[in-house]
Amino acid sequence: MASVTLKSVSKRWGSVTAVDDVSLDIADGEFMVLLGPSGCGKTTTMRMVAGLDDPSEGDILIGDRVVNDLAPGDRDLAMVFQNYGLYPHMTVAENIGYPLKVARVGKAERTERVRAAAARVELEAYLERKPQALSGGQRQRVALARAIVRTPRLFLMDEPLSNLDAKLRVSMRAQLKHLQHELATTTIYVTHDQVEAMTLADRVAVMSKGKLQQVGAPLDIYNRPANVFVAGFLGNPSMNLIAAQAEGGRLIHAAFSLPADTVRPGKVFVGQRPEDMKVTEPEKGDFRGEVFSAELLGDAALITVRLNGDLVAVKAPKDVRARMGDVVGVSFDPAMLHLFDGQSGERLADRNGEAGKVTPFPQARGERHP
Amino acid sequence: MASRGKSLIGKVPLVILQLAIAFLVLAPFFWMLSVSLKPANEPFAIPARLWPDNPTLENYILAFRPEFRRYFLNSIIVSGATVLITVPLALLAAYSLTRYQFRILSVFLAAVILAQFFPAGAMIIPIYKMVKAANLLDTYASLIIAYITVTLPVAIWMLRGFLTRVPKTLEEAAAIDGARPLRAFFDIVIPLARPGIVATTVFVLIVTWQEFLFALSFTSTKEMRTLPVGMNDYIGQYGIRYGELMASSVMVSLPVIVIFFFLQRQFVSGLTAGAVKG
Ligand SMILES: Nc1ncnc2c1ncn2[C@@H]1O[C@H](COP(=O)(O)OP(=O)(O)OP(=O)(O)O)[C@@H](O)[C@H]1O
Ligand SMILES: [Mg+2]
Repeated sequence: MASVTLKSVSKRWGSVTAVDDVSLDIADGEFMVLLGPSGCGKTTTMRMVAGLDDPSEGDILIGDRVVNDLAPGDRDLAMVFQNYGLYPHMTVAENIGYPLKVARVGKAERTERVRAAAARVELEAYLERKPQALSGGQRQRVALARAIVRTPRLFLMDEPLSNLDAKLRVSMRAQLKHLQHELATTTIYVTHDQVEAMTLADRVAVMSKGKLQQVGAPLDIYNRPANVFVAGFLGNPSMNLIAAQAEGGRLIHAAFSLPADTVRPGKVFVGQRPEDMKVTEPEKGDFRGEVFSAELLGDAALITVRLNGDLVAVKAPKDVRARMGDVVGVSFDPAMLHLFDGQSGERLADRNGEAGKVTPFPQARGERHP
Repeated sequence: MASRGKSLIGKVPLVILQLAIAFLVLAPFFWMLSVSLKPANEPFAIPARLWPDNPTLENYILAFRPEFRRYFLNSIIVSGATVLITVPLALLAAYSLTRYQFRILSVFLAAVILAQFFPAGAMIIPIYKMVKAANLLDTYASLIIAYITVTLPVAIWMLRGFLTRVPKTLEEAAAIDGARPLRAFFDIVIPLARPGIVATTVFVLIVTWQEFLFALSFTSTKEMRTLPVGMNDYIGQYGIRYGELMASSVMVSLPVIVIFFFLQRQFVSGLTAGAVKG
């Protein structure tokens, strides 16, 4: 068990900067999820922690030891590769047991532990097969089993569930969460699936274009995104972001005007999540607009309304009757507004005066999920 | 039915072509075998017989003289030593060429292939002079060194082709699993490159087993002669002893054929399928 610290870590290949000055503290036993769109540097970050790539700049610490010059095998970590990395000439059982074999674990114990790891990922029936004869999801589970067969200080998992079907993914997710809780092993987990991030993470680190955007507990990030990127990336459907002007204590837009007392004058983005907005009678809302589309989501309806050039999505009760072309009113919830600087995209101070980016750290184990 | 009949007819030229090629390849072997089994007076009997009326092993018994056994042993020593040195050396060279990227290495790789542009005939005189200067004439070492020189470049290139197809992720996975580079090389790289190693071994073996020019130039005594040179014994000033020549040819070819037969299943490709996604 160990904490992991990244100190101003960068990785460059020629003119490509894959990871740009990332600093991150991961507490002992914490489940940290790296979340971000494709190509944002998640895998690269993880490979540097693993020791497969050397950082161009910065230090990586596991525990309180700088590991920059330590070979992967000396870092006492297990990793699930995004592309599996299974040994094709070995059976499933040999694949899972290879780390134990290298560590000279006796044959009987090895067999037992391989069986237990395979059982966790529901692969007992396939132990004698070669990876070639497995489906993508099965291969991914072999990779997972090869990681959890050991008890390292650190788990690194690069999109380990990406190739599973929806049902298996949910059950493996629960398995992983349970396992991590049981072993209390520090885990860095890469995904671009925000549901996975929300459900698994103690804390989420959101990345974009090699830069760390925000680090915090899933709910904190969801409730108080630090900038427009995080605001737009988290949440499905994503947050509405409307360009407006702050002036004399109000937010002015061609179609509406809202009170906002603490905001300095200038360009701003007004952000609000679809579930915080309401569809009203045309004359009662903050603004009115034509319905662009109305989709039934099941438990709710997603109504998209034209606002000048923009589209604003509103999550409404499923019995709201709005058809394409109807004119409806839309109202904001003033308590749930997110305001971002029009230039930098950074979150502006909230009503109560706090800046948006601060998240308490580290949370002690046990009080994370009351 | 109609279309099936048509496709069968369409195959006829192909089958004929295959049979013709098979005939061209196999006919000399058949003739070699046939002649080797004919009694001394029969090879030139008219009309010629495809197969002897009274097959006999007397040619084999005559051919398997002490000298022949000596040549055989020499060939095994020279070919075996060349394989044992060339293949591991080539494996290490090819591996470092695929895994470590330095500009100087690509220059080295180009130089390696450049060496192949010189035909053996052009190199034989300088090499002969070197061998002589080193006092190595008429030794196994002279041939082994020459054969390594000739086979190593090709072996490096062959193995490099196979090794580039072993995904780097697998060695990284092994490194994470705690294996040192050498261990990963033996546990992961070598098993996955096995078809390439087998192919390279067979290549080196065949090249050295049948080599004539160097063997003729560097050896002068019967004690050091290899099979291809030694078989000249049957071509005398006053005639060629075809029966014995063919019998010894069969005996020379047999090991190669046997090795091929047992190793052919090792040339399995696609062994790395399923290792990584995509
Ligand atoms: N070996 C390399 N050489 C040059 N550029 C690289 C190399 N590896 C990665 N990159 C670049 O670095 C950036 C980050 O890549 P990385 O694999 O870390 O992304 P990722 O966040 O894991 O994406 P994904 O979700 O698609 O897996 C990409 O733009 C990629 O093209
Ligand atoms: Mg990736």
